[in-house]
Amino acid sequence: MTHTQEQVLELKNVRKNYGKFTAVKDISLTIPKGSIYGFLGPNGAGKTTTIRMILDIIKPSAGTISIMGGSSALDVRHEIGYLPEEKGLYKKMAVNAVITYFAMLKGMTKKAAQTRTDELLEKYDLNDFADALVETLSKGMAQKVQVLSTIAHNPSLVILDEPFSGLDPINQQVLETLIRDMADNGQTVIFSTHIMEHAERLCDRILLIAKGQKIFDGTVAEAKSLIPRRILLETRGSIDSLQSLENITEVSKVPVEPGLDPSYLVHIPKDTHPQDILKHCFDHNIALSRFEYAEPSLHDVFVHLVGDSAWEQRL
Amino acid sequence: MRIVRLIAWREYMENVRTKSFWAGILMVPIIFIGIFFVQSKLSQVTPTRYYLLVDQTGRYEQAVQAAIDLEFQRKILQEFISYLLDNRKETDLRLTAANTSSAADQLIDDVGADEVSALNEWIVNGGLDFALTMAAPYLRENAPPFVHPPQQFIAATLPEGINDSDSPDEIVEQLRPYLSGEREILVDGRKGEVFALILIPADVDNYITRPNTMPTQSSNPRIGIQYWGRNLTDTRLPNAIERSINREIRRNEFVKNGFDTTVVRNIQRTRLPLSRLDPTAGEGEEGFSLADAYQQFAPIGFVYFMFIVLMQSVQYLLSNTIEEKSNRIIEVLLASVTPGELMMGKLLGIGLSSLTTIIVWISTLVMFLLFYQTPETQAITRILEVIFDSELIPWFIFYTLAGYALYSGVFLAIGSLCNTIKEAQILMMPMIIMLLIPLTVMPFVVMDPNNTVFRIMSWFPLFTPYLMMNRAAANPPMVDVIGTTIVLVLSIVFVLWLSGRVFRQGVLRTGQPPRILELFQLMRRGE
Repeated sequence: MTHTQEQVLELKNVRKNYGKFTAVKDISLTIPKGSIYGFLGPNGAGKTTTIRMILDIIKPSAGTISIMGGSSALDVRHEIGYLPEEKGLYKKMAVNAVITYFAMLKGMTKKAAQTRTDELLEKYDLNDFADALVETLSKGMAQKVQVLSTIAHNPSLVILDEPFSGLDPINQQVLETLIRDMADNGQTVIFSTHIMEHAERLCDRILLIAKGQKIFDGTVAEAKSLIPRRILLETRGSIDSLQSLENITEVSKVPVEPGLDPSYLVHIPKDTHPQDILKHCFDHNIALSRFEYAEPSLHDVFVHLVGDSAWEQRL
Repeated sequence: MRIVRLIAWREYMENVRTKSFWAGILMVPIIFIGIFFVQSKLSQVTPTRYYLLVDQTGRYEQAVQAAIDLEFQRKILQEFISYLLDNRKETDLRLTAANTSSAADQLIDDVGADEVSALNEWIVNGGLDFALTMAAPYLRENAPPFVHPPQQFIAATLPEGINDSDSPDEIVEQLRPYLSGEREILVDGRKGEVFALILIPADVDNYITRPNTMPTQSSNPRIGIQYWGRNLTDTRLPNAIERSINREIRRNEFVKNGFDTTVVRNIQRTRLPLSRLDPTAGEGEEGFSLADAYQQFAPIGFVYFMFIVLMQSVQYLLSNTIEEKSNRIIEVLLASVTPGELMMGKLLGIGLSSLTTIIVWISTLVMFLLFYQTPETQAITRILEVIFDSELIPWFIFYTLAGYALYSGVFLAIGSLCNTIKEAQILMMPMIIMLLIPLTVMPFVVMDPNNTVFRIMSWFPLFTPYLMMNRAAANPPMVDVIGTTIVLVLSIVFVLWLSGRVFRQGVLRTGQPPRILELFQLMRRGE
């Protein structure tokens, strides 16, 4: 496959073995420029190993990686910003010094790095902490500083490994906004997470990975379309007529508390509109006490593809 | 190179900005200066000690007094020599026995060559008074007056009620409370502790042993002259008494056998000087001077200094790498810089910290010597002048740098494999022991620098910086100098390359440090 300008990253059959253990099994994917791309999977799925191989921190045992037109991330390191899973900063350095230092390591001049640092601190309400030592910051605050030091040099490609872990809901929101801003700015963002909600809200494309293997690679909508959509019905009436409908995949009873109306889960194929089901209920005088249509979540997709046990065991 | 400089500068600034860095490096000169003061004060404040003498023979009291006087004269002589060295008009340490020009030099040389004879000469010539008159023309104008040392041992009289004609055992029993420190005696109206009892029993001559006679067999430890004292580790007084009484006994033997004791004494003091000559030195410069002695022993100081500096540097490297690893900074760094750049930056930064340490230590020493001028510090200054004037400095700089590059590579790799200092200490131990080996043989190397064993050891790269520095003053064979340097440089390149491989793998490792087999795999993989 030839590299086009629209792709910032391409992995071909990338594998990583540690002795007899295979951490990543033959993963292939391409990431378009300017997109927000999520690596999703439970802990230990191989997300971090894949990211480390992308960054050329560790070498793949097999396969090739092409990143921003080069064969090694180190060749284009000034274009990349990386926030590792295990966060850490120099504890004895001041907040502004640490951001400036990492920006300079990425090729910025001292003056430009200092100006950019001041801008970021101002923008993300950290001005009051500019001269504070990192060791005096709270965990969430330190993580925010680390995110800023990751993006200080305005990288074209930003790779964030579990960026939301350790952040409170407000700062998670700030980070989501930051990621969207970067994408709007034309920057490509790759982030890994085991919390599907972030990916659902942010990602254009996702990679689902479990036990080192790629389960799915595509858009969120494509992922959701992999499993039937579901409608939750509550009724005291008979639903036998529903069973005979052609555009219904499956109807199953849901266990409920005693005293409540019986509940049913109606699976419908993607070309069936929920309104058709509602219309059928009215037409057949099925008295509904609840009609709830919900898009499948990425978690549902994952469980559907891998099985609940794989997720539960890893979490 | 810009990245390496940036990393090095950050490492350096992080070190020098901390209070602990300055506390650590200032502690060394403070401790040394403290030791210097304590030592110089200790020599001045040795307390006066009272002794009791019971001579039941009535023949050896004078010999004991003579011994104590001789000890005192020895102290005066030693202090006078030190005074003379410190206050001479021109102190040329390059003078040898052959070209000493003054009576003062002659005296110094005599004391250095044979202190016993020199002490006899000193006493015969009139002791301190004569020496001061003789030395006056050679003293510098503003020389301070000689301070007479206090008498070390003073005779006290037996406490009342104790009769010196009682049996030795009775005398000892009666004096036991004084000897054990429970009671004190009165000397010139002042109370004082008894330092020692010298008890010479009436039958002491029965214990004299002669060649070809069987020594007296007895299980009783109280034979011959009895020296009682709580401090039996200080042998100056008992040795002096033993020597003096034996001298008296021998004198009696000479008389008994019809010898003229004056002739005997003169014969005993006859001596032929021996010149120590260096065949590699030029014509007229082959004599062995005090400066040569300093230069010969100076490498020991350099090696210790090198050891302290290197140990301090590798400690910085270890703790710094482990901190970065445990703080998880290393992964961010490795996404920004190559492992090689990171390693070189660290080596350079920590090397700068060590250089700062050396500069601070030397500056402190220079300031101390400049602003605290005492005879002792002036003597140190002159010794340093000789050493800095020698060819040892370039050797020291080269071997310190080479040693730093070699050891730091190894320690950096160790640091990359460990998550805590405790883990690092376990891995470091074999390496530290290895580095201590050349230190343990150091005194022997100075005595015989080109011995085959030391020559072979010098070729082992981990020993080369220490041993070649140690041998530097003795003009080691050129093949050793060039050969060991080539091996050392190649080893540095190899160790840094290998460390780079381990470092790259090690810094991202979590959990326990690797076992030996794993370590070899890391070196082999080195990805």
